Amino acid sequence: MARLGGHHHHGGRERSHVGLTVATTTHAQRRRSSELRLVVLAAVITGAGYTLAALGKNSAMPPRILPFLGVVLLLLVSAHIAIRWFARGADSTLLPVAALLNGLGYVMIARLSERLAGLQTTWTFIGIGVFIGVLVVVERINDLSRFKWTFFFTGAGLLLLPLVPGLGFSSGGARIWVNLGPINFQPGEFAKLALALFFAAYLAERGSLISNSTRRVGPFNVPETRDLLPLLAAWAFSVLVMVGQRDLGSSLLFFTLFVVLVWVATERTSYLVIGSGMFAVACVAAYHAFDHVQTRVAIWLDPWSRYTGKGYQVAQSMFALGSGGTAGTGLGLGDPTRIPEAKNDFIFAAIGEELGLFGATAVLIAFVLMIGAGLRTALRTQRPFEKLLATGLTTILGVQAFIIIGGVIRVVPLTGITLPFVSYGGSSLVANYALLALLIRISDTSARRLGEVPDQPTLSERWTARRVARAEKKVGGPA
Amino acid sequence: MNQRIRRLAVALMVLFAILFVQLNVIQVGLKTTLDDDQRNTRQSVRDFNEPRGDILTADGLVVATSERRDDDSGHPWQRVYPEGELFADVTGYFTFAYGATQVERVANDVLAGRTPQQQIQGIASLFDGADTTGSVELTLDSRIQQAARSALGDREGSVVVVDVQTGAVRAMWSTPSYDPNYVATHDDRAAGDVLEFLNDVPGNPLLANAYQERYMPGSTFKVVTTAAALDAGVVTLDSTFAEESEFVPPQTNDPIQNYNQKICGGDLTEVFRRSCNTPFARIALDLGPERMVEASRRFGIGEKIPFDLPRAAASSFGDVDYFEQNLPLLAIGGFGQGNTQMVPLHLALIAASVANKGAMMRPYVIDATFDHDGRLMKRTSPSVWKQTMTPATAVVMSGLMQEVVRSGTASCCLKLANGVEAAAKTGTAQLNGPGEPERSHAWIIGFAPASAPRYAFAVMLKGTTAEISAGTGGTLAGPVAKKVLDVALTR
Repeated sequence: MARLGGHHHHGGRERSHVGLTVATTTHAQRRRSSELRLVVLAAVITGAGYTLAALGKNSAMPPRILPFLGVVLLLLVSAHIAIRWFARGADSTLLPVAALLNGLGYVMIARLSERLAGLQTTWTFIGIGVFIGVLVVVERINDLSRFKWTFFFTGAGLLLLPLVPGLGFSSGGARIWVNLGPINFQPGEFAKLALALFFAAYLAERGSLISNSTRRVGPFNVPETRDLLPLLAAWAFSVLVMVGQRDLGSSLLFFTLFVVLVWVATERTSYLVIGSGMFAVACVAAYHAFDHVQTRVAIWLDPWSRYTGKGYQVAQSMFALGSGGTAGTGLGLGDPTRIPEAKNDFIFAAIGEELGLFGATAVLIAFVLMIGAGLRTALRTQRPFEKLLATGLTTILGVQAFIIIGGVIRVVPLTGITLPFVSYGGSSLVANYALLALLIRISDTSARRLGEVPDQPTLSERWTARRVARAEKKVGGPA
Repeated sequence: MNQRIRRLAVALMVLFAILFVQLNVIQVGLKTTLDDDQRNTRQSVRDFNEPRGDILTADGLVVATSERRDDDSGHPWQRVYPEGELFADVTGYFTFAYGATQVERVANDVLAGRTPQQQIQGIASLFDGADTTGSVELTLDSRIQQAARSALGDREGSVVVVDVQTGAVRAMWSTPSYDPNYVATHDDRAAGDVLEFLNDVPGNPLLANAYQERYMPGSTFKVVTTAAALDAGVVTLDSTFAEESEFVPPQTNDPIQNYNQKICGGDLTEVFRRSCNTPFARIALDLGPERMVEASRRFGIGEKIPFDLPRAAASSFGDVDYFEQNLPLLAIGGFGQGNTQMVPLHLALIAASVANKGAMMRPYVIDATFDHDGRLMKRTSPSVWKQTMTPATAVVMSGLMQEVVRSGTASCCLKLANGVEAAAKTGTAQLNGPGEPERSHAWIIGFAPASAPRYAFAVMLKGTTAEISAGTGGTLAGPVAKKVLDVALTR
């Protein structure tokens, strides 16, 4: 209750400013009803896409289209209801955009392989479950900042997991998989979240110490070693592990995430410059140290001369995009099975083939909308931890999408990584739904703080309050 | 922090804008390049599952069509060539795994309905489901083509008939040929086996020897040497040549001999009609390497024939430096021996240029393309490839060639039906060295009617058998040319 009392909006306000409360309630109401409409729209688009893909591929209606639509609606509406109950002030675009991407990805995966579609359905169920779970468990986002070292060690442990003999294994050249009985998963997807939480918490706490240090070495202000060292050590460790696992995409993503967070937290452009410099040095070093990096760069520059070898994938991706043209071949009418890994890293090329420039641009816009909503959340909240966390999570989404789309369309060298919400893959989907839930939680918290939604006590706070009251009654009663 | 977050937002927007630009570059800018890349099988897969337009001859015979097949191959359309091997060299084949050749390849967009014109009309067909495939009309006449096949029989060689004024190919037949129906099967493995088998067959049926291979031309090349000499003023109709059986050129002691070591000489008409060798060796040497090579270039020798079918061969003669060092080879090159190599189609075009005031037309087999409703899309307009000789020289050459038929090496065998006169030059290309068994190609090239030329022709019988090697161009190729021309001129 002490924490609640510290807030300037608490339950008592409802009675003193009735008018305001009514107004803000409709504010939240409006967000939730527009979210519901958008979520239903995403479900309808998914259902329509699924039908068209089946028509295009087999010239027949998909056998269970109504149950399919029912399941999609059920999933999305449950997520929506969870937001209504546990985060009703949150941004209204995040869930529908994620649902659209997930739906579009599903349609594409189902069109490529019936078997994977079944698995992806299971993963979507688990993903939405985790989404709701995170909303329920994480009631006050700031509570998370206390566990920063727990997050770091969890993240580090998850990263190291694939290196454990007998547990981890390599697939597609990267040793990032873990086999636990019936399921294989990529712990790295979750490590990213944990490490983003760690960096946000650490920098929220020490960011100003690092940036306002007066210790001088030569002409430079240098932060105290005790402030900087743990940060650098944690970062270097993570990047080295990812590089060691040959997970170039994740290393790149993580590097960017770190530099961005340090830059935003310290407000020092010099860190951005130093970070970019280090990035350049790391790239050159990696290029010279690793054959597979050289191969990737060579393929990026000229996939055609390596058509029969490692350039085949990128060349096929180009053919797919070209044959899609402006309007696409139509769902189920293209030939995306020719692209190796079309379900996974190259799903964007498959979308570009069947839905054309229009469809591919829609995916880009969806990511831009998500980034916009994520960074708006970061801007609206006042607390450094929440700000940094929202920035970090959004950076993960945006940069990851850029890295893989850019790899597929030859803007940057290809580094294997999933396209958030779209690619086939359980770990990625579940981790991204957890990420989405965290963003929504931050967005809701700031809405409450801004008075757009009455800041009611959370479930566990109410529970604690009732226990305390009961205890007080017991103690105070006879006296 | 807010300012940094805003900058981050801008940075991310820029990154996504870059993605958008690149997406446009690939999906719009590079679309055609990517679609046309021969490694890209997407288009052929799609074409393979769609209907495909017909290929017809000028007289309306369907020589390639698509039939609906409901077999279990998963491909609903089967390409069929109703005439079997007869037009294989022209239509080529259309397969899934092994691509397409000849007209099936060069006119693929029309046949599949993918030219911009058909695509625009196709927008309407999105709603009524009509197909947009187009058809191709060939310049070939099935009756002349039939005559060429039956006249040549099972002897290896080729027959080419072209329209002298347009360069339109009226018949083009090569033996051995193959039946494209066996290659167009939906069973990829069977198709591969057939192609592999055909590759190993002697005579290479997959190569159309009428335009994809070249052979020693023998005395038919005297048309080139004589026209060059007339144009250069080195000889005239009044020039006379010594009666001799052999002649020793510079740089060697080996004499050049006439056919069967006969004594041969007289004026130009006489030596041309009897096809003496020594006069033309002397003429070639009188012209010298520079003028001879320059003349060969004027005839398009050394260039790939600008045909509308893919992979046409180029005839070859030699270059100046080479002949400077090897004057004897220039001398025998003057009558088509040595290293001289000619494509049969090219010799037909050269004969046509004599009949067409020296203007040699670009050869073509696609006369016109039509859309699905039978509306004309494009008709080939004839164009001049080379001016091989002056019109005056062409008149003289025509006279010389008529004399060959009247009283020369072709007099035995080129008397056409209804008293039509032809002009021709025969050739018997000696392939064997001294002391080896006789081996020779038999050639005849020319045009008819001599007075008002319509068709030029080249007939070649490959010297693969003793029977052919024992004969001459006049006795072996002459009768073939007669049968083909009689059909062409009387229909």
